Amino acid sequence: MKWIRRTVDSVKPNFGKGGRFEKFHYLFDAFETFLFVPGTTTSHGVHIRDAMDLKRTMMTVIIALVPTLLFGMWNVGFQHYRAYGMEVSLLDNFLFGFWKVLPIIIVSYAAGLGVEFVFAVLRKHPVSEGYLVTGLLIPLIVPVTIPLWMVALGAIFCTLLGKEIFGGTGMNFMNPALLARAFLFFAFPAYMSGEIWTDLSQEPGRAVVDAYSGATNLAIFDENFLEMDSARDMFLGTIQGSIGETSTLACLIGALILIVTGVGSWRIVLTVFAGGYLMGLFMNVLAPADVPLHAMHTPAYYHLIMGGFAFGAVYMATDPVTATHTQTGKYIYGLLIGAFTVVLRVFNPAYPEGMMLSILFMNVLAPLIDHLVIQQHIKKRMSRA
Amino acid sequence: MQHLISILIKAIFVENVIFAFFLGMCSFLAVSKKINTAFGLGLAVIFVMVLTTPLNYLIMNYMLKEGALSFIHPSLASVDLTFLSFILFISVIAGAVQLVEMIIEKSLPALYGALGIFLPLITVNCSILGTSLFMQEREYNMAETTVFSLGSGIGFFLAIVLLASIRERLRYSNIPAPLQGLGIAMIITGLMALAFLSFSGIQL
Repeated sequence: MKWIRRTVDSVKPNFGKGGRFEKFHYLFDAFETFLFVPGTTTSHGVHIRDAMDLKRTMMTVIIALVPTLLFGMWNVGFQHYRAYGMEVSLLDNFLFGFWKVLPIIIVSYAAGLGVEFVFAVLRKHPVSEGYLVTGLLIPLIVPVTIPLWMVALGAIFCTLLGKEIFGGTGMNFMNPALLARAFLFFAFPAYMSGEIWTDLSQEPGRAVVDAYSGATNLAIFDENFLEMDSARDMFLGTIQGSIGETSTLACLIGALILIVTGVGSWRIVLTVFAGGYLMGLFMNVLAPADVPLHAMHTPAYYHLIMGGFAFGAVYMATDPVTATHTQTGKYIYGLLIGAFTVVLRVFNPAYPEGMMLSILFMNVLAPLIDHLVIQQHIKKRMSRA
Repeated sequence: MQHLISILIKAIFVENVIFAFFLGMCSFLAVSKKINTAFGLGLAVIFVMVLTTPLNYLIMNYMLKEGALSFIHPSLASVDLTFLSFILFISVIAGAVQLVEMIIEKSLPALYGALGIFLPLITVNCSILGTSLFMQEREYNMAETTVFSLGSGIGFFLAIVLLASIRERLRYSNIPAPLQGLGIAMIITGLMALAFLSFSGIQL
C-alpha cells in the first residue's frame, strides 16, 4: 500500500496547478480518489458529515451486484452444458461462464470509461464513479451471445447521449444502462431477442440435445404459460435469460445490501413488486374464462420471478438520479413501474420484456410526478396556513 | 365502444402525434421551458383539435367529397372538391384559433402573455392539420373522428407537459454550451420517443 501512496504523491505535482500535465488533472484525480479516500474537504455549499461520498455509494451498488454477477457466470456455463446434455462440476460451469462474461465486462468498461475520460479532460469536470455501476450493469442485462462491438456501441451511446451530454453523473434523466439496452434492442433486434440466450459454441464430439429449446419464459408465456419452467427454477435462476437477470434470489440478496446500507430506496423496491403483483391479480380477474391458456391467466407471482423483473426492481428502478425525488412520488413511481411491466408483457407480444421499457417510460414521467406531488403539498400547506 | 376506446388509447400512446409522427415540433420545442405555460398551450391545442377535426369532418363529407353536393342538385353528383381540403381545413383551424385567442386574452391574461406568438401560431401547428388529414385518410366516421381528435390532443398535451417537466428538472444540469436550449430539447425528444416505442407493438 505504502509504495502506491508514494508513487501517487511523487507524480502528483505534475498534474496540479501549473504542472506539466495540468490538462489531465481530473484523469489523475479519478485514479487517486479511486485508490484512496481524498483528503480534500467541501469548500462551498452544504456540509454534510458522512463517510458515504459518491464513490462509496457507487461501490456499495457494485458489491450488491456481485451475487447476480457470480450467479450469472455460473448460469451461463450451466445453460451451455445443459444444452449439450452434459453434467459438469460447479467450478467448470462457473469457469466457462467466467471466460464468456469477462470480455463483455472489459469492453463495456473500456468503451464507456474512454468516453468519460475524454469528457473529463475536455470539459474539466472530475470523472465520477457513476460509470463503474453502469459499466457493470450493461453486461448483466445483455444476452451472453452478444457480439463485443455491440457492447462497445451501446456503452458509448449511453455514456455520450444518455449522460455526458447532460453534464455527467447525477444530471441525466434516463437510466444510462437501460438506455444502452433499449438502443441495442431497437437497433439490432436479431441479436437481442429470439433464441439467443444460451451460448452454443461447439463442444467436441457433442450435439445439442433434442429437448433443447432456446425460448425464454417470456416468449413462452404468451402462448401457453403452463409450459414455463417451474417457479422454483425461476426463483433460483437456473433458466435462460440475460446474464445477470435470471436469479430472483441473487437480486433479493442485492436488494438486502442496498436497503440495509440505505443506498437503494426500499419504497421503490417494495412498490415495484406490489404493483406487479396487484396488476397480475387484476389481469387474472379480467382474463377471459373461455380461453384457459390466455396469458392473462398467468399466476400473478410468476410475473415477479420471470425475466428481468427482480433485477429491474432492485438495481434499475432504484437509481436515485432518474427515479422520482419525493417520498410520495416514489410510491407512485414504483407502483406504476410494476403495473406497467405486467401490462406490457401481456398485451405487447412484440416486446416481451416489459421491465426495461416500463422503467424507461417511468423515467420520462418521474419529473412530472415530482412536480405534481410538490404542487399538491404546497396547496395543502397553503390551505392550512 | 371498445373500438372507440382503442382509438383513443392508440392516439394518445401508440401513435402519439409527437413521438410517432413528430408533428407540431415547433411549438412543442419552443413552449416547453416551463410546466405552466406548456400546460396552457397543451389545453389550447386539445380545444382546437376537438373543435376543428369534427368540423372538418362535416365539411369534408357534406361539401368536398365526390357526390357530397348532390343534395343540392342531382347534376352535382360527379363534382369532387377534395383538392380544396387543405385550404378549407386550414381556414377552419385559423378561425378556431382566433376564438381560443380571444377567450384566453379575456380570461387568462397571464397565460396570454406567456404564450406570446405561439398562440396564434397554433394555426400552423402541423399536429392539428395532421389530425384532420389523418381523419380524412383513415375514413373515420363522426364518433371515431371526435374520439381520435381528443386522443391526439391529449397525446400532444402529455408530450409537451412531460418535456417541460424534464427540462425544468435539467435546469441545473451542466449542459455543454452549444447544446443548450433547442439542441438538448431535440435530444431529449429523441430519448423520450425511445421510451414511447414501448407501446408500438400493442395490439388494440
